[in-house]
Amino acid sequence: MSAGSAHARHLAEAGRLANEIRLSVEQVSYAYSANPAQAPLFTLEATSFQARPGEIVAILGPNASGKSTLLHLISGALVPLSGRVLLNGFVTQSLTPRTRAQRIAVVQQESALLFPARAWEFVLQGRHSHRRSLRFESEDDVLIAKNALAQVGAADLSDRWMNQISGGEKQRVILARALAQQPLLLLLDEPTLHLDIAAQIGLLDALRRLAAENRYTVVVVTHELNLAAEYADQVVLMQRGRCLRVGPPASIYQRELLEQVFQTPLSVELGSSGRPRVTVLSGT
Amino acid sequence: MRPLTLRRLFLQCSILVLILLVVVVIAVKFGAVPVSLYALGRDLLHVLSGQRADLSSDYVLIIKNIRLPRILLGIIVGASLSVAGTSFQALLRNPLADPYVLGVSMGASLGSILALIAEPHLSISPALASLLTPLGAFLGAGATIAAVYFLGRREGQIDSATLLLGGVIISSFLSAIIMFLMNTLSGNLRGLSFWLMGDLSTPLQKSAYWFLGIGFLLAAGAIYTTAADLNLLLSGEKEAMHLGVDVPRVRLVVYVAASLLTGLAVSVSGAIGYVGLIVPHAIRFIFGSDHRTLLPTAALGGAIALVFADTLARTIVAPTEVSVGAVTAVVGAPLFIYLLRRRLS
Amino acid sequence: MKEFARPRLRSAVSAAIAALLSCAALTCAQSAPPVSSASPAFREVTDEVGRTVRLPQPVRRIVSLAPSLTETVYALGLQDRLVGDTDYCDYPADAQKKTKVGGAINPSLEQIVALHPDLVLVTKGLNRLETVHSLDGLGISSYATDPHTVEEIITSSKKLSDVLGVPEAGASVAGEMQRRLADLQQRVGALAAKRVLFVVWTQPLISVGKDTFIADALRRAGAVSIVDSEQGWPQVSLEEVARLQPEFLVFADSHSDSASPAVEMLATLPGWSILDAVSNRRFAVISDAVNRPAPRIVTAIEDLAKQLHPDAFVEKPENGKEKMEKENLPPNQRPALHYHFSPDVLQDRMTTPGGRACAH
Repeated sequence: MSAGSAHARHLAEAGRLANEIRLSVEQVSYAYSANPAQAPLFTLEATSFQARPGEIVAILGPNASGKSTLLHLISGALVPLSGRVLLNGFVTQSLTPRTRAQRIAVVQQESALLFPARAWEFVLQGRHSHRRSLRFESEDDVLIAKNALAQVGAADLSDRWMNQISGGEKQRVILARALAQQPLLLLLDEPTLHLDIAAQIGLLDALRRLAAENRYTVVVVTHELNLAAEYADQVVLMQRGRCLRVGPPASIYQRELLEQVFQTPLSVELGSSGRPRVTVLSGT
Repeated sequence: MRPLTLRRLFLQCSILVLILLVVVVIAVKFGAVPVSLYALGRDLLHVLSGQRADLSSDYVLIIKNIRLPRILLGIIVGASLSVAGTSFQALLRNPLADPYVLGVSMGASLGSILALIAEPHLSISPALASLLTPLGAFLGAGATIAAVYFLGRREGQIDSATLLLGGVIISSFLSAIIMFLMNTLSGNLRGLSFWLMGDLSTPLQKSAYWFLGIGFLLAAGAIYTTAADLNLLLSGEKEAMHLGVDVPRVRLVVYVAASLLTGLAVSVSGAIGYVGLIVPHAIRFIFGSDHRTLLPTAALGGAIALVFADTLARTIVAPTEVSVGAVTAVVGAPLFIYLLRRRLS
Repeated sequence: MKEFARPRLRSAVSAAIAALLSCAALTCAQSAPPVSSASPAFREVTDEVGRTVRLPQPVRRIVSLAPSLTETVYALGLQDRLVGDTDYCDYPADAQKKTKVGGAINPSLEQIVALHPDLVLVTKGLNRLETVHSLDGLGISSYATDPHTVEEIITSSKKLSDVLGVPEAGASVAGEMQRRLADLQQRVGALAAKRVLFVVWTQPLISVGKDTFIADALRRAGAVSIVDSEQGWPQVSLEEVARLQPEFLVFADSHSDSASPAVEMLATLPGWSILDAVSNRRFAVISDAVNRPAPRIVTAIEDLAKQLHPDAFVEKPENGKEKMEKENLPPNQRPALHYHFSPDVLQDRMTTPGGRACAH
């Protein structure tokens, strides 16, 4: 089956389920301890939320609130202590790594390469889960990789070496690799951390566009209040391993709630786009 | 964009197969006893055309009974060491890894010493007696593989850093035991040091060659099925997992298969150094680091390198034979320095 | 789908073809005829390690893989039948002219095969088991000796002469050795044995074990090794030697008349000077024939006896006096002794005696 038709299948499936729940996180909890005999160093309490195709969900919270842990539980990298994660009805934990990679793509912050590689080689890695074990890349794979680079606006970077491009460009190529996986779910862990403001906006614009066009479900971990407010359809607010609230930005961005979570005085207004805007107040 | 294709792989392998054939012809020609290739070819034709019942000239006997088996052994051992080295470099994500870094050669040496010690006390047929040392070595290698595996686990899976530590520890420990044994025991341990440096000169029984060949194909084949995974593993283990690689399974398969390859090689030829370390780097330098081509080309490269080194070893000061491990060291070390500098620049 | 499993299949097929070709080449030699020269009569003997050896009668072409065996072959007068020996076979001088087959431990199988030997002579103390197995696999008969005492050297030579078809020569050689040893026994048998340390290597200090023929040779010379060890080449501690205080230190050297301050140097080494034998310069240097289990060892034994018990040889008073004066000469007038260290000893120091590598 060619990759082109697989993509069409995804779209059709996505269309069919357009208004149905794609991602369902059900009472997922986790505990991490250095020593099994000791008390856990960190606990994520039972958390639930749901997401649909085309939605962008932001997992928002200060440092050490359990955001990344939650993301890794969704991606399948961690096994939850209790609860489960369902993707289109399948428990992600029970999928093989290969099947999981066909449906879930994770965008890390950095990418440390042991051997130098060109951007197109890098993006082609995303096709790995769609290829049988001993096959070489087909023409379809090459097409999809080219497409992915074009979709993030990095087509001109195709022949460049990964260690010679800027941070923002690298982030786009990493995103392209995730897109090449043709996933249903796109997970990003603090993608804006090392980017300048223009790159941040560019990335999130691209995410919004891609989510709308290709019906991805996007989950972004971030601590950037305004970016989350501007781009997320849903926000999961976390603090110290607990999920405080899940809902659209309007219901999350309440001044007292945010001040309590982020431990700093702020003011919340309605921005020109209709989304909440947060301003940090200096001084106590 | 120039992705890897089957045709490129075939082309690269064909070049190397040609070079291997040339090296084999050189190895057949040169040795302690002079051989005329023309006369050999003529005799072969006579046999094929039915003019003679069997090849009976002296040097042909030498070639069939001594040189060709030795060349075949060199091919299999060279290919095994090379594939094992490539695999360990990927598994441990360390360009300095060689097939012996996880202690397999020490285990094999200890196994062969124990076999030599036990030999007078066992009543076995002469045919089996010549297989005793390789068998002991292979068992020793197997025990070491298991021991390092159990040491190298974390949370039930192989962890690269822990594996490396476990291998180094066991290697040192076994090395100490070997030195202790060699110091305190009398008896027929002579020549063990010769074997420890690497020696292809002992012809084996035919069944042994079959065993080696099939073992190589199975183990190298198993590693090859993970070739694409290894490419991704080198980008980072977490990322590899997210891209669909079953990391624990790949690590286990590669570890066991590569260690078995090393064990096979060491049990019949001792610990020949540098082949497993340098050949992968040299091949990467020429043909690139995609393991889907790197593994087969490294295998061929290892065969070429070892047959060539062995030919040198038995011709430089003929009829005395230099240990092949000495030749690979003398040639390999400067080559490694050269490759290192190229890589850094 | 067309590319499914192709690379693997292709590599597997190529490898299989290569393997098949090689096997085809090897199978041609399935029934390799023995390389011995045409001789219908065969004999079966048992060698000294218990192996059954099948050899043609008579044995016309011999290859020796140990210097001691080469010497024995010459002593039996069979040098014309010796077609090959090792790089280290240097005695007698004629042996150096024979075709060389390499080292004792790593001989060239090709070269041996090319010489078409009827029999290859090996000794357990020097040669490798793998070499014997390889020769078996090539259809070449090998006969192994394994003497552990001087008496066994004599019987070994005699047995070898029987195997090689010259029993009279063997009887003669054995008789000569017996006679000289009996004479020696007469002279020094009743005397108190001198306690000696036979020094193989100085750093680390290595001597010989009690079950070696060298130790037995010492006994025959009216000496006794202070080292009592099961191993062939035991490493002994200097402290233990100092405690035992041997009367003499014995060195074996092939160039006993060449100059060297090496022995003098020993006196300056820390620890060595506490030995009486060192401070009083009680050294005995004999030829390295003592290291080879061959007929020539008797000469070395006699030489040692003369140095240790000069009084027992008073038929020639000048000789004895010379020896005594030699001992009492001031250091700078003593005949300088060249002690040549063989690098191979360190590598093969676990070998039982029988061919300490003669890398001179």
